[in-house]
Parts: sequence; structure tokens; C-alpha cells
Amino acid sequence: MSARAILVIAAVAAISITVPAAAHHSFAAEYDGTKAVRLEGTLVKIEWTNPHTYFYIDVKQPDGTAVRWGLEAGSPGALSRRGFKRGDIKVGDTIIVDGYRARDGSNLADARRVTLPDGRVVAGGSAGDGGPQ
Amino acid sequence: MTPRPIVRAVLAVATSMALCVSVAAQELTSDDAPSTKPTPRTASGKPDLSGYWKGMRNTTPGGNIGKDLPGFKLPLTPAGEAALKHNLTATVDPEALCIIGGIPRHNASGLPFEVLQGANKIAFLYFYSYFRAIPIDANRKHSDDPDPSFFGEEIGKWDGDTLVIDSIGFKDEKVWIDENANPHSDALHVVERWTRPDYNHIHVDTRIEDPKFYTRPFTYARTWVLGPPDEELHEYSCSENNVNREHLGFGPGPIRKDGTRGYEDPAPLPPPVPKK
Repeated sequence: MSARAILVIAAVAAISITVPAAAHHSFAAEYDGTKAVRLEGTLVKIEWTNPHTYFYIDVKQPDGTAVRWGLEAGSPGALSRRGFKRGDIKVGDTIIVDGYRARDGSNLADARRVTLPDGRVVAGGSAGDGGPQ
Repeated sequence: MTPRPIVRAVLAVATSMALCVSVAAQELTSDDAPSTKPTPRTASGKPDLSGYWKGMRNTTPGGNIGKDLPGFKLPLTPAGEAALKHNLTATVDPEALCIIGGIPRHNASGLPFEVLQGANKIAFLYFYSYFRAIPIDANRKHSDDPDPSFFGEEIGKWDGDTLVIDSIGFKDEKVWIDENANPHSDALHVVERWTRPDYNHIHVDTRIEDPKFYTRPFTYARTWVLGPPDEELHEYSCSENNVNREHLGFGPGPIRKDGTRGYEDPAPLPPPVPKK
């Protein structure tokens, strides 16, 4: 198979992946689509729970203090299906999360993309919640 | 021999996409899968609707009960318009509060469900560990004053190879009829006509009547595809750790032109972190 053919197949596969409504709540009911954010911090608490998993990280500030953030991700089942298992993270690890801030201004963000301690990048959001994919 | 950079790049993209496709195959929805096998039947000769059913990606707009109407426009009465406004501006999505979505909302959901069919009863098992168990009884009649419930008082009857589920007695508060916050009242009357046209598909034609909130009955039709044998429902305890309930605003947020909920043009995420 030629490189061009592989690229075409890959592009078609990418386009064909769409996600209908499925999630526990609407992304837009909780998060601000204009406030994309990257947060890198040390894990201090992991809640591998339904309806969402939550990770709490301490993000170091320039003055040396730390600010705690809550990060909401998909359900344990959703993350597991993507290859993100509970054993992939532990308190004390550093993770990087790209997501969106809560509309209510609290230190809560929707974790759409998670960079795990081993370098893997996984989708963290709830499929079908209407959020950016 | 070292491959040329362009070939390496293409292979990397292809591998990455193959992984994505493989993960997508395990996701909650599926592409269509044509069937070569006929409709399975029970000992009594009726179609067996049992199976683990997944929504198809081409069912759009997902979550919108007006999917089959021109412009997705529901025929709301003035009271229905007021109820919609109330839902949008003064209520949090009941499902996000772990309240049962009910019918017809579950039929518009993107989540898989499982059907277990017996001789005189059929059970629909839903992703959030909710269920409805419906008697199949040609002689049963609706109660005079059924207790309001989210799935309603449901009675199943066979009409040839079609299982007809007729439901009344619904809740009139804390309910959205779909994920876009459309309303229904306690006058809701839902008639679902379920068929299994072949081994791989299950289909419903739904008639939704609610004279308090809608000027005329309307319909909602949908087909699901059979999931792979190794996929099944798992425990989903909705109220285990519902942190988000304290942060949710009223309504579903903006509805896009394509009839789905969400922002039309969200800000992009930062570029992915380069691989170490």
C-alpha cells in the first residue's frame, strides 16, 4: 500500500468518527467554551468514580505557592475503554491537562485531553456531551 | 535501512489513526453493520428483541426528540413554550442530577441499552443502571389514575411482528423530554412500535402526543445496531460522586444549528504536549 493510500485511509477514518449525544450532562451547561486552559500539577487526590472521574492537582505558582484544581473527566468505564486505567496514575504523579474552565469561575476544569505520567495522551472528556472533541 | 521522513510520518499518522479507530470500535456508538442473518424468534414464534443495542453514528441530531421534524421544530403550544423557557432558564438537567430520564428521552440517548425478552414481559436495561420491565399482555388496560412515573404506566402488546408499548401516567415536573431541555407534561402519551427487521437491527417508530404542550402528535424513529458479543452493560452508580451538580447552570447551554447541544465555535485547546 502506498504512503498516499495510507494517508487517505487515515483521513477518511478521522472524518468518520463522530459522536452522538450520550453523556451524563451537557458540556456547555458546566464549562465555558471560550476558556481553554492547560494545567500541569501534582496529583493530590484521585476519585475513580461515576458519573465522572475527578482528579485534583496542585499547580505551582510563580511565587512558590500552590493552587488546587479539580479536573472532571469521563466515567471510569469511558476512560478504561480508551486505555486509561486507574493504575496509570497515583498521588504524587505529575499530569498535564488541557481543558476548559467551569462557567461558575471555580477552580474546576473539564479534562478534554490528559497527558499521563508515561507520556501517553488520552481523551479525557465525556463522549457525546457536546464538548469539543 | 532508515525509511524516508515522509514515509515515517505517514506511517505514524496511519498507526495513530488505526489506534483511534480501534478505540472508537469500543465506544458507545457504532457504525452500521449489515446483517446476513434473519430475525431471531422466540419459542412462541415472535421476534426476539433481546440484545445489547448501540446507537449508530449517523443518527443525527443525537439527543433531539425533534430529529425527524423539519428544522427540528417541535409544535409547541403556548404552555409548551413557557415550559421550555422554564426548563432552559430555571432547571438543571434532571439526568445530570441522577433522575431517571424516562421515555421517550432514553430512546433519543446515545448510550447503549440491553433488552431481555421473556414470554410475558420485556425488560429494557439502561446505561445508568435504570430499567423498565413491561408486561406483554393483550388483555391489560391502563389504570384509571396511574401513579405518575418517569417511564409511565407501560403496557406491551404484539401487533403481528411488532411489539407495541403504550404508555401514559408520566411525571410533569423535573422532566426533560430530550437532552435539549424540551418539555413534556403529565398528559404525555407515548406509543412505541418496536421491530427487529433482521438479526443486527432493532427499530422503533414512536408517536408522541401531549396536548398540553404540543399542538399535534409527532413522531420519532430510530434504528440501533447489535453490539459485539463481548460488550455489555456495567455498573454505573450515577449518584456516587456527582460533584458536577454544584457547578451546573440551568438548561443544556447553547443549541447548535445542527440541533445538538454545545458551543458552535469553542476555543481550541493548547497544542498537544510533544512526546518525550
